Amino acid sequence: MSFKLNPITLKKLRRFREIKRGYYSFLLLMGILLLSLVGELLVSNRALIVSYEGQLYFPTYGAFHPGTDFGFNYGYETNYRDLKERFEQEGSDNWLLMPPVPYSPNENHTVTGIYRADAPSAEFKHYLGTDTTSRDILARLFYGTRIALFFSLGFLAAVYAIGISIGSIMGYLGGWFDLLFQRVIEIWSNIPFLYMVIIIFSVIPSTFSISTRIAILLAVMVMFSWTSMTYYMRTETYKQKARDYVASARIIGASNTRIIFHHVLPNTLATMVTFAPFTIVSAITAITALDFLGFGLPPPTPSLGELLKQGTENLRTAPWIVMSAFGTLVVLLTLVTFIGEAVRESFDPKKFTVYK
Amino acid sequence: MIKEFATRLALLGAIGLLVGCGGESQQGASAPVPEGQLSGSEQAREFYAAHPDFFSFKTPADIPTDLAWENGMDQPDIGSPEAKKGGIQFESMQDYPRTLRTVGPDSNGAFRNWILDNVAVQLAHRHPDTFEYYPGLATEWALSAEDKTVYIRLDPDARWSDGEAVTADDYFFLFFFNRSEHIVAPWYNNWYSTQYTNISKYDDYTISLSMPELKPDILTQALEHTPAPEHFYQNFGPDFVERYQWSFIPTTGAYYIRDQDIAKGRSVTLTRNTDWWAKDKKYWHNRYNADQIYISVIRDTAKVFESFKVGDIDMFGLNLAEYWYEKLPDTDPDVQKGYIQKSVFYNQRPRPDYGLWMNSARPLLDNQEVRLGINYATNWDLVIERYFRGEYARLNSPQDGFGEFSHPTLKARPFDIDKAQEHFAAAGFTRRGPDGILVNAQGQRLSFTLTTGYESLAPVLTILKEEAIKAGLDFRVEILDSTASFKKVQEKQHDIYFGAFGRFLELYPRFWEYYHSDNAYDDAFLDDGSVNPNRQPKVQTNNLETFADFEFDQLIDRYTVSSDEQEMIELSHEMIQRHHDYASFVPGFVQNFYRIGHWRWVRFPEGFNHKHSDGAGELFVHWIDAEMKEETLAARRSGQTFEPQINVYDQFADEM
Repeated sequence: MSFKLNPITLKKLRRFREIKRGYYSFLLLMGILLLSLVGELLVSNRALIVSYEGQLYFPTYGAFHPGTDFGFNYGYETNYRDLKERFEQEGSDNWLLMPPVPYSPNENHTVTGIYRADAPSAEFKHYLGTDTTSRDILARLFYGTRIALFFSLGFLAAVYAIGISIGSIMGYLGGWFDLLFQRVIEIWSNIPFLYMVIIIFSVIPSTFSISTRIAILLAVMVMFSWTSMTYYMRTETYKQKARDYVASARIIGASNTRIIFHHVLPNTLATMVTFAPFTIVSAITAITALDFLGFGLPPPTPSLGELLKQGTENLRTAPWIVMSAFGTLVVLLTLVTFIGEAVRESFDPKKFTVYK
Repeated sequence: MIKEFATRLALLGAIGLLVGCGGESQQGASAPVPEGQLSGSEQAREFYAAHPDFFSFKTPADIPTDLAWENGMDQPDIGSPEAKKGGIQFESMQDYPRTLRTVGPDSNGAFRNWILDNVAVQLAHRHPDTFEYYPGLATEWALSAEDKTVYIRLDPDARWSDGEAVTADDYFFLFFFNRSEHIVAPWYNNWYSTQYTNISKYDDYTISLSMPELKPDILTQALEHTPAPEHFYQNFGPDFVERYQWSFIPTTGAYYIRDQDIAKGRSVTLTRNTDWWAKDKKYWHNRYNADQIYISVIRDTAKVFESFKVGDIDMFGLNLAEYWYEKLPDTDPDVQKGYIQKSVFYNQRPRPDYGLWMNSARPLLDNQEVRLGINYATNWDLVIERYFRGEYARLNSPQDGFGEFSHPTLKARPFDIDKAQEHFAAAGFTRRGPDGILVNAQGQRLSFTLTTGYESLAPVLTILKEEAIKAGLDFRVEILDSTASFKKVQEKQHDIYFGAFGRFLELYPRFWEYYHSDNAYDDAFLDDGSVNPNRQPKVQTNNLETFADFEFDQLIDRYTVSSDEQEMIELSHEMIQRHHDYASFVPGFVQNFYRIGHWRWVRFPEGFNHKHSDGAGELFVHWIDAEMKEETLAARRSGQTFEPQINVYDQFADEM
């Protein structure tokens, strides 16, 4: 399906650009998203470049390098921080470049000899401190945010695909199909979402890899969240259906599918776009809440909810944990909300309405 | 106490399940017995008549005259003569009890300690310092070795909390009760049917119990009983589980629960029986001092700690280093001003066997080389050193802490990447995949699910996971709620389980429950001792390793029937060694102390506690000083301070 943007939509987009707060929020969020795509270059315990015995290595992506590759006597993954220290001591021509945050989100790295929450320290490059088992908080936040963002984007896509299709068909076809699905949705949406996720997720065998488990979690959440979108789309399609252009299209002989997805859908763009940021907000909140309760992503996957939980348990003794997690969540949700508000405003036909 | 040896997993983990809000039984426990239905006593009489060999009615003349009676009165008294009665003790629990029954479904939870394990008086108890018996409901007892019988004289003063006398009939009823199917407790049914051969009544206050074997701890088997109140169970029947769900069963102990003190889902209050029959007896008169114990539900440990810090709760366990050093450090203002005192107490007793239990019926884990590799790839030493701050010790075998019965020299395998890789290579895992995890020729990854129900110990598993990767082993950590995880393990659905069984104060370790093939498979072996090809793992047993070894079974059988202590010790060592060689268990850690923080008004006897105790409140030797509480609260308002007290009681610190 190809979306041909009509002049009015283009005007709306221009209007969006004029709303600075929303526009810059959008740019910032996109920036974060792009950065997180290449996150391994910024936050990782693998070196970016190693120059060893005249040869260059780029360990960031791909298979691991055993310690023996760089003259250590162990067969497991090289500890590049140790390697860097060794190179410096040897004073040879070998060198390596570590990412700005040289820790992986899962490794326990203590500076005091015991695993406990340590306060932020630039000296050890734990810029936001460590959590209760000496894992770098910045690394965990970074990857936790990345997972949450992509999770919510996937959630948005799936919920929209299902919600929009079913909603539009309901509105367009009407009749028994509409009646039937209204009842189905009424029943379905009365099932308590959080409990269902908890129940279903608790029976998923742990033999699945972490990414499969995340995918299943996503599927389960989508299963219980697509309903809200249908109602908006149904009303919107209902409205559009009565318009002359739909009648014209039918006279020409266009199929129902073509009319719904090619003619009606572009005209309901305002609804879709307006709800998108809020769907993202709800996805981030839901995944964080589930993690907080211990039913979300399997450990040791980094997540905002898990950090928040640790933070609230150690409010007195390690306030930096809750501050980082809470701060990140606030920034993230505020950005998305600003975008949402700007989108709503720019798609509003009345130019000078304000929130009251 | 003779009680089910099972799932006391509430030690550290939270039980996070829904509160049991079972409906009130329509007819209460004390309703009149309907016409045409046999009362509890009548059913019991019928049962006695049907089992004349087991239940004998004799005369005092039948008691042998050459018995050496013991009364245990020569032991040191327990508690402090300075203890004052009075005050209210405030406690918390993580979950509301699902029943007030002490037997039957859901009764084996942490709350049972308050109404049975730590409170009810038995015939006799192990002295917490000397390990000898001191009298409870019995006044004296005598062992007749040749007929494997213990004769017991009951204390005629003993009363149930509702005022009825405790007589020989209540012990008879105990056997009827615990052998009945109505209580839905197969373990008790089995124990009371197979571990005893006879109970005899000579008069209302003299009984004897006979056992099939003369075990070294035959006195334990005979004396650690709390009887069942016959007069209370008149409505005993198939509806036992529902009918008695929320009835407080009359107790021989000092605390009882009044109906109005059960606030379902919120709190339970225990009230001290001021007219308690044992209140002036030696060993008992300085204990059970608080007038009331108010136990409220607080689900979250962090919140329990906050409640403790504001003084709503009197004591808080500080076993975890995080709490001892960071959340309530010695420099904490409340500690420095002397309002809250911190105490560490070293004890000696069998301790929970924390470790990794491998299900050797699972693919790959059925290979000894893989199991050995996992032993070497598990870095407990690092966990102990860095996470537990060196305060815990490495467990060497699950049977540690049983004195001579424990293996004297055996050591747990250390973390050793090279050895781990050698063993993995012997099992065919020679090549590392792109993620550093070993794969075999068929492309199978060396990866296992590591399940636990201890949410609070999840960091331990993530540390083990990170370390195991170095040896090319992948643990998939799975944190379940404690009930769900134990269910999984009991169904034998686990690969590797991290957990522990609570241990009672016993003379020698149990092997049958853990390692007998009867508990591993249905028909594990054919008659000639070879493996039955069609065997299926047996569920709902404590053999979590699915350990089945024909020769080992013979050893267990010999151990079970042996009455020679020296032989049992040798057998025990041999079995521990064989089990170690089989390598299906990675011993974790033990803690040889407990420590608490308590408000100043909670007073303990000099020396704080007793050698074999396992918690500060367990023996109820503390008392609540109401005047001191007022004084402390007033001082807190006015800013007055006291001498800070951080006490270490290491008189029983053993070599670890």
